[in-house]
Amino acid sequence: MDKKYSVKRLWKTITGDGQLLAGIIGILLLLLLIVLAPVLATENPYHFGEDVLVGLGEKGHILGTNHMGQDIYSMVIYGVRTSLQVAVISALISGVLGVLVGGVAGFFGGKVDAVVSEIINVFMMLPSFFLILLVIALFGNSLYNVMIVIGITTWPSNAKLMRAQALSLRERTFVKSATAMGETKTQILFKYIIPNGIFPVIANTTMGMSNAILTEAGLSFLGLGDPGIISWGQMIYTGKQYITTAWWISVFAGIAIVITVLVFYLLGDGLNHVLNPKHVNGRE
Amino acid sequence: MKRFVLRRVFTGILTIIIVFALNFVVIKMAPGDPITTLMGKENNSPELRAALEEKYGFDKPLPVQFANYLKTAVKGDLGTSIIYNRPVSDMIAEKVGATVLLGLVAAVLAALIGTVMGILAARHEGSAYDVIASGASYTFNSMPAFWLGLMLIILFSSLLGWFPSFGLSDTRAGYTGMAYIVDVLRHMFLPVLTLTLVLLPQYFRIAKSSVLQVMNEDFITTLRATGMSEKKIFNKYIFRNAILPTVTIFGISMAYLITGVTLIEIVFAWPGMGRLVMTAITQRDYPTLMGIYLIMSISVAVVMLIVDIVYAMLDPRIRYE
Repeated sequence: MDKKYSVKRLWKTITGDGQLLAGIIGILLLLLLIVLAPVLATENPYHFGEDVLVGLGEKGHILGTNHMGQDIYSMVIYGVRTSLQVAVISALISGVLGVLVGGVAGFFGGKVDAVVSEIINVFMMLPSFFLILLVIALFGNSLYNVMIVIGITTWPSNAKLMRAQALSLRERTFVKSATAMGETKTQILFKYIIPNGIFPVIANTTMGMSNAILTEAGLSFLGLGDPGIISWGQMIYTGKQYITTAWWISVFAGIAIVITVLVFYLLGDGLNHVLNPKHVNGRE
Repeated sequence: MKRFVLRRVFTGILTIIIVFALNFVVIKMAPGDPITTLMGKENNSPELRAALEEKYGFDKPLPVQFANYLKTAVKGDLGTSIIYNRPVSDMIAEKVGATVLLGLVAAVLAALIGTVMGILAARHEGSAYDVIASGASYTFNSMPAFWLGLMLIILFSSLLGWFPSFGLSDTRAGYTGMAYIVDVLRHMFLPVLTLTLVLLPQYFRIAKSSVLQVMNEDFITTLRATGMSEKKIFNKYIFRNAILPTVTIFGISMAYLITGVTLIEIVFAWPGMGRLVMTAITQRDYPTLMGIYLIMSISVAVVMLIVDIVYAMLDPRIRYE
């Protein structure tokens, strides 16, 4: 894995894997939506207009309005920001925690590993959605709380992957020679073990992003979303009461969730094919 | 085997202790002080505060408080709902049946249909069926279950009017006997369909990938070279080896049965744990939420323990790790 990829090879890798290509295009489109949201949105999504529960295409509202007169189309566009924010920040927290815990366990081995592995096993068994729900209900439903709690409840799978990587990396010659050169354990961990073993974690973290989006949506659907922001989960939650009369409120928000989650799944699967050493060795 | 079981039991017990510790920490860290709530706004006397703290054991050091907390929990006291003034464990016992009914039916259906679909996709890899089924599996995997439920309500209840969209039975009709069972089945249709569609992709993917993996193993090539019929190879060798991961996933899904159903129950107003959770959230009934979390975590730990032991009995490779 330490070979340098030239631009050409990178391009070949991306176009060679359909899922990765689709995922990358999808992410770029979503990022474009975030940047261009003020241009693309026809109205300020936070504006409570006079047209309440207006249907599709009526009075200039492409996807109708909700019970507060907010424009659904503009809300869907702005919802990308919330979802991606939740996805990226919670996945980063989960990734960093997982890499550190797993890296330390695998690299140091012995008693440290035994204890940390046991802790990882225990945390893998906890039903995280309910813990998240409990914490949000008690500590308040700000978006920051949601992101932090998702992050600190989903690290164990990352830790497990990183531990396995560190276990095999520490037996490799370049790590052993670094030890012989007198580099400290911490230096070796951050300079050799983590950079070389992080690839499966990256793929897993991308998958974790889709789960984070779904978790945020689920919390919002329980009425535990941040009321100060626009989120697709909350649109579905409010639309639930109008499901027979104004179906458009929840339908389009849900479609947006499906597409975004799908993009992250495709990206994660694609990265897994390309980055996971198991797959790389199996190819060609 | 004995060592394996002991190890797993140890992890299980540790998990339960950590669940209690987490719950304890969450209570301690949560904003708001129970003593202040008990004393009310007007009263501020330090004597009363000290007396209340002593009565509820808040004056003791944290480890002692935690030990006391564990002691009451072991006796089966998981707290009392502050809204209904009833033990949380009783409230859960009432509701858990409806939830398990829903979850179990959907899990079995998803496992059966998903596995068959996955095996077919693997045997005809690259065919139109495989492409469509894999695409659908990806899409349903990305769907929030509660949203899918709402969509099915729009389609089957609002537009077509085929199935009722909420509740477990029509209470006004007062059906008895066979008519009641049919009524419950009609009410179950949409929630079970939703849950099955959401659970299906994982079985599809596991079945497909493990069949493909076994099909590429050397011993299968050898069997082919001996001239054994494809059908026999599949039935006797591929299927048996490829089904093990499905069994594991099914076992694990049993552990998370209740947690997975909650959101869907809320969509369909199913009178199970989901409704309990929802009312507890809207009424800020925290002891109930915590009790539910405790029971769910403990049941997950116990079911996982059983699954692991059963699996180790079936597959010797696991216990000699």
